[in-house]
Amino acid sequence: MNNLGDVGNLMHLYMHEINPGKGTDSPEFLIAATAKILKESGGRNWVPVIIKETGEDEYEVIGNSFIYAVAEEAGLEKIWCIIADSKDTTVELTQVLCGEVTPKINLSSATRDEIKTALQYLIEKPGTELKSVKLLVATDRIDEAPRQYWKTLEPITKLGCGITKGKKLNALKEVFYLAPQPMPEVSKEPINLKTLTVGELRTIAKKRGITGYSKKKKDELVKLLS
Amino acid sequence: MNEQTLKKVLINLPKNAPQAIVNQLFVPDFLTALGFNLMERVPEYNTGDCGTVDYALRHNIDDEDTFLSTQSNPYVLLELKSRDCNLSQGSAQYKSTVEQLKRYLMSSNCKTVQWGIITNSEHIQLFRKHGKVIYPATPCLDITPDNFIEIVKNVRNKIENPPKALTVAIYNNKGGVGKTTTTVNLAAVLTLKGKKVLIIDFDPNQRDLTNSLQIKQGTETLYSYLEDKNNKVQSINVIRPFVIKNKTTGQIYQIDVIPVDEKLAIQHEDKLRQNLSIRRLYQVLKHLKNEYDYILIDSPPNWRFFSQSAVYASDVVLIPTKHNNIFSLENAAIAIKDFIPQVQQERKDGGPIALPIFFNGESITDAGRKTAHKAIQDIIKQGVETQFNLVSYFYPHYTKANPNFHIFVLPSYAHIANAAFSRVPAACKDRTAHNYYLQLAKEYFLQ
Repeated sequence: MNNLGDVGNLMHLYMHEINPGKGTDSPEFLIAATAKILKESGGRNWVPVIIKETGEDEYEVIGNSFIYAVAEEAGLEKIWCIIADSKDTTVELTQVLCGEVTPKINLSSATRDEIKTALQYLIEKPGTELKSVKLLVATDRIDEAPRQYWKTLEPITKLGCGITKGKKLNALKEVFYLAPQPMPEVSKEPINLKTLTVGELRTIAKKRGITGYSKKKKDELVKLLS
Repeated sequence: MNEQTLKKVLINLPKNAPQAIVNQLFVPDFLTALGFNLMERVPEYNTGDCGTVDYALRHNIDDEDTFLSTQSNPYVLLELKSRDCNLSQGSAQYKSTVEQLKRYLMSSNCKTVQWGIITNSEHIQLFRKHGKVIYPATPCLDITPDNFIEIVKNVRNKIENPPKALTVAIYNNKGGVGKTTTTVNLAAVLTLKGKKVLIIDFDPNQRDLTNSLQIKQGTETLYSYLEDKNNKVQSINVIRPFVIKNKTTGQIYQIDVIPVDEKLAIQHEDKLRQNLSIRRLYQVLKHLKNEYDYILIDSPPNWRFFSQSAVYASDVVLIPTKHNNIFSLENAAIAIKDFIPQVQQERKDGGPIALPIFFNGESITDAGRKTAHKAIQDIIKQGVETQFNLVSYFYPHYTKANPNFHIFVLPSYAHIANAAFSRVPAACKDRTAHNYYLQLAKEYFLQ
């Protein structure tokens, strides 16, 4: 309805009105060399910087920070930008679309194929910590584990697929996040739990990621799980 | 100002505090925070012909002069309400309070007043008075203990730095209603009344204003002035003088004009918007506001970049219509109901507002008047269906007790239309034309 605002527009704005945001970690060489090409080719950044409005004539870069850095290096007075809206989801999406942030998938509900491509991405990345991990073994074990209840990625280290606590587990955090389901209510009631065998109780404890259950007696296990 | 006491007062104020309690607990600290000491406030100030207003304020000039004892030349009026009086924007009590404040502001002892405040310690709104025009200087704000200090600072800052000029956009979505003629002649009569006036031609496709006064381009163009943000382009290189003469006294006056340039006309609107936002004209005019009494913007018909920018830049919008052109009336209603509220949303300071419409430059027969009023009543009815009360924009003098259907008419006059050929505003050449436009200026602007 209201077409007075600038959201969605391509605009040619003064650099000094734009806050670079979190900046770019691109190597200086790339910035300097690109800036040189930009200057030689007429000084128009045909690929725009994505910005959001933070105040009257105040903006912040939310995507293509590299281009902003190049324009700065090239000494441009004005830069071509697209104005995005200021929603948090827009900022996240823009960063992912610009390839500045790796997208994450929800491991609680991901399909086997999604897990596989995510692991493959991690294993094949240069300088990976997960060189020794066997893709198919890890995929299968993670897929079959009761991951819908996991609150952390920690249980992966117990699956025996070569992913140990520390650097390797941390590497997984780059692509996975968890939105766990609550444990089904029935198994929290002591009366229900008492009807189960010790073996079944241990399985539940394992699924919930609780440790130190193996030496406990039935009563203690019920207490632990309720 | 003591920020903590101010906050505490608000927290401790009972929920349904009657006016006396608000007055006792809230007002003293509030007025101190606005910078008015005890000798600079008069409670129960006699406005002259409208009874007493809760407070009148003015800073003392020197030791000899204390406002409390002289009670002369008030500067701010404050109308106070109880906490159970609902002052949120649009409520019935809000509307009646604003009307009450307006009556005080226009009354005989309050000619020098420049600001009006309404508050009940839960809501607050600041109004500016410029001559006869009263317009909101802030939206109606919700007061909370957390934002109150910020609000007070903002209000104080505005009161202490009053903008000298009133910016008026002359606009109607319909073409051919005499926007340019109105702009030029209004500027002329205001100038002859000793006011300093700037007119801006912001209709680059027609360029009527620039052409009709034969204004030549300055060394810098309006486009470069708008585009520049590094103070490279000086206003003096954009503004051109237009000299007029008072025929009886021979005295010479000058109207400043910013002519429009080709670059604004030939560039496609999409291209313009890549470099200029709708608020750019507003920002640029801010710097000129203290040099003029009136800034008049001649805007094009339609609702696109130029007219949007002109309305965005203005404090008030003057809408000429033709009584015998139903479209000009309907378009006026659209501007009032839809376009101006859009801009208000974007500006977030309560402005701009529409002035009541007037009939421009056609002779009216009784039958014609009847038809026009019938059309207006239909428009008002449609407005009611969309919950927008248009009455005050068409019939400013109408009240329920006194249904007055007067609309200001600028009569038809051959010299006004013909003046375009002589490159001089009719109001400068012809006494009758001058009087007509002086009436217009008095109806809307001059107190």
